[in-house]
Amino acid sequence: MRLYNRRRAYLCAMSRLLPSVFFSLPLLFLFAACQSNDKSAATATATAAAPQHVTDDLGHQLTIPARPRRIMSLAASMTEMLYAVADTATIVARTQVCDYPRAALRKPVISSYPLDLEGLVALHPDVVFTVEGITSLDDIARLEKLGIPVYCQRYTTAADILRGLTDLGRLLGRPVQARKLTDSLQVELQAMQQLPRPSRPPAVLAITWQDPIYVYGENTLFTDKIRLAGGQNAVTEHFAQPYPALTREYILKLNPDVLIGGSFGKLDSTFFKNYPELKRIKAYQNRRVYGITGDLMERPSPRVVESVRELQRLIGAPPAP
Amino acid sequence: MSRRAFPWILASLSLMLVLVVLGLRIGSFATDYAFIGRTLLNYNPDDPAQLALVQLRLPRIVMALLAGGGLAVSGYLMQAMVNNALADPYLLGTASGASLGAILCFSLLSNLTVAGIYLPPLAALVGALLTTLLVVALGSQRGQLIPGQLLLAGVAISSLTAALGGLLSFLSSSEGQLRTVVFWAMGSFERAGWDVLPYPALALGAALLLLVFLQKDLNVLLLGEERAQTLGVQVARTRWILVVTAATLTGCVVALCGPVGFVGLMVPHLTRWLLGVTGKANLLFCALLGADFLLGCDLLARLLYPPAGLPVGLITALFGVPFFVYLLRKKRVAL
Repeated sequence: MRLYNRRRAYLCAMSRLLPSVFFSLPLLFLFAACQSNDKSAATATATAAAPQHVTDDLGHQLTIPARPRRIMSLAASMTEMLYAVADTATIVARTQVCDYPRAALRKPVISSYPLDLEGLVALHPDVVFTVEGITSLDDIARLEKLGIPVYCQRYTTAADILRGLTDLGRLLGRPVQARKLTDSLQVELQAMQQLPRPSRPPAVLAITWQDPIYVYGENTLFTDKIRLAGGQNAVTEHFAQPYPALTREYILKLNPDVLIGGSFGKLDSTFFKNYPELKRIKAYQNRRVYGITGDLMERPSPRVVESVRELQRLIGAPPAP
Repeated sequence: MSRRAFPWILASLSLMLVLVVLGLRIGSFATDYAFIGRTLLNYNPDDPAQLALVQLRLPRIVMALLAGGGLAVSGYLMQAMVNNALADPYLLGTASGASLGAILCFSLLSNLTVAGIYLPPLAALVGALLTTLLVVALGSQRGQLIPGQLLLAGVAISSLTAALGGLLSFLSSSEGQLRTVVFWAMGSFERAGWDVLPYPALALGAALLLLVFLQKDLNVLLLGEERAQTLGVQVARTRWILVVTAATLTGCVVALCGPVGFVGLMVPHLTRWLLGVTGKANLLFCALLGADFLLGCDLLARLLYPPAGLPVGLITALFGVPFFVYLLRKKRVAL
């Protein structure tokens, strides 16, 4: 009985207490949330107050927000880099040449050449990313004068691209995403190195334009990509320009094993029709003339692995039909 | 041939020989004089170095000679026709017209080779001739060419075609296209081949042959229209012959090599300075001197910036202008 009374008294007390606890719980949560919000707000304020002072690949020193919320790129390759690392909601625009990934096509277009300065300023980007040689130094200076920092990257090897992705991850506050991506790219590149390779790396000449004949020079990303694919750039001489113009005589002397720049049939009716002397090079004699995906070849982007894989397939491919 | 002209012609021929031999030595394959001799006497096309010598270096040299000769003669004719020392072969809008033709081709066509024919030179020739026709139509009245009107029409139409060309270049879809246009506009002999050489050779040969009969009228015309008429020269007819000859020559050269500047302005002056205004061998010497000058410039272009060489138009201006200014400052040039 006594026990019963005690239980009853306990239940009564609880029934009086529970509603108040029940109603006070949201308040507690709210309080806790407020405390947590206050904390992040305090952190955000602290972070906002501490912008990043960074130096880009060209040696330019610039200051960008700790966590850029509005970013854009002025190069097709850089747009690919940003889409691979950044929060895509923070990308505010693309240029007229940015067509990969497809999601980029939904972004508003800002002309990169000639640079639509007014349109770009109207978007209020926190930072603009670009690649060396794509945006003129004059345009970069004009943007910086208008208070828009421009971060420029330079790539001459596949490792540079991975480093570029890591840098972007750090600058955009997404180091984990960048690391995951670079690790997987690194693994794929290493796996390709394990595949059987030709005993003598074939000399590969890649042309970018036919009249005059411009080629991928020794100081371009192509040299590293073709090395990773098991070949070597036929152009070993260092020229001031990344894409030097070559004479027919020079190409005759190079005598490349493989020529990249268009399918055999296409080049046979254009390039070799205009330059019949070049039919003597080994690449033509052995019908090792191949077309390649332009975007993959031209753009230093996270798709570098795909590009190396494509080159590797061509180097090991049988002569063109 | 006059006594005054003979040593100069001999000297220009000797210089040409030296330049040709030097030109045969410059290239990616190392070739000494013995190798050149062996190749010329016993050509083996299976040897890539010999192939380069005969199929690449030699036509390039011949192209430079023909272009230099053609532009110099053309300039001489234009200066005589308008009786103005500042006239040059591009007075009739030939260069800008050819450029527009070539740019149209580079910009609008995705495939530049159709049925085995490389179209840009053809388009350049059509552009050059159409522009010249337009300028001549604007610069003539009742079948008579009016030099002043012709000059102004040339300037106006050149500006228009240059602007159209500029617009197309600006709108060009790729950097490669832009580079082609820029490279083309500065002139080059890199694309020279035996297959195209007969055209400028025929044009220059025919022009020189025709002008042998017109040399006297030409010299009289240089003294002024009124004096020429008094001396019985059919001024209107002579002017038409000069315009058609100059336009054809310039069109041929520009279509194949791009608009190489300054040769047609400078070499006629040098010719008159050395041989006098009314020398009988002036045109022949003018052609030889122009050929030497342009070949020399091409050699320099190839030596300064191997392997592709600088655009030859840059060299003609960079090295020709100071020399020309020096001549003008001496105030002994017979204008």
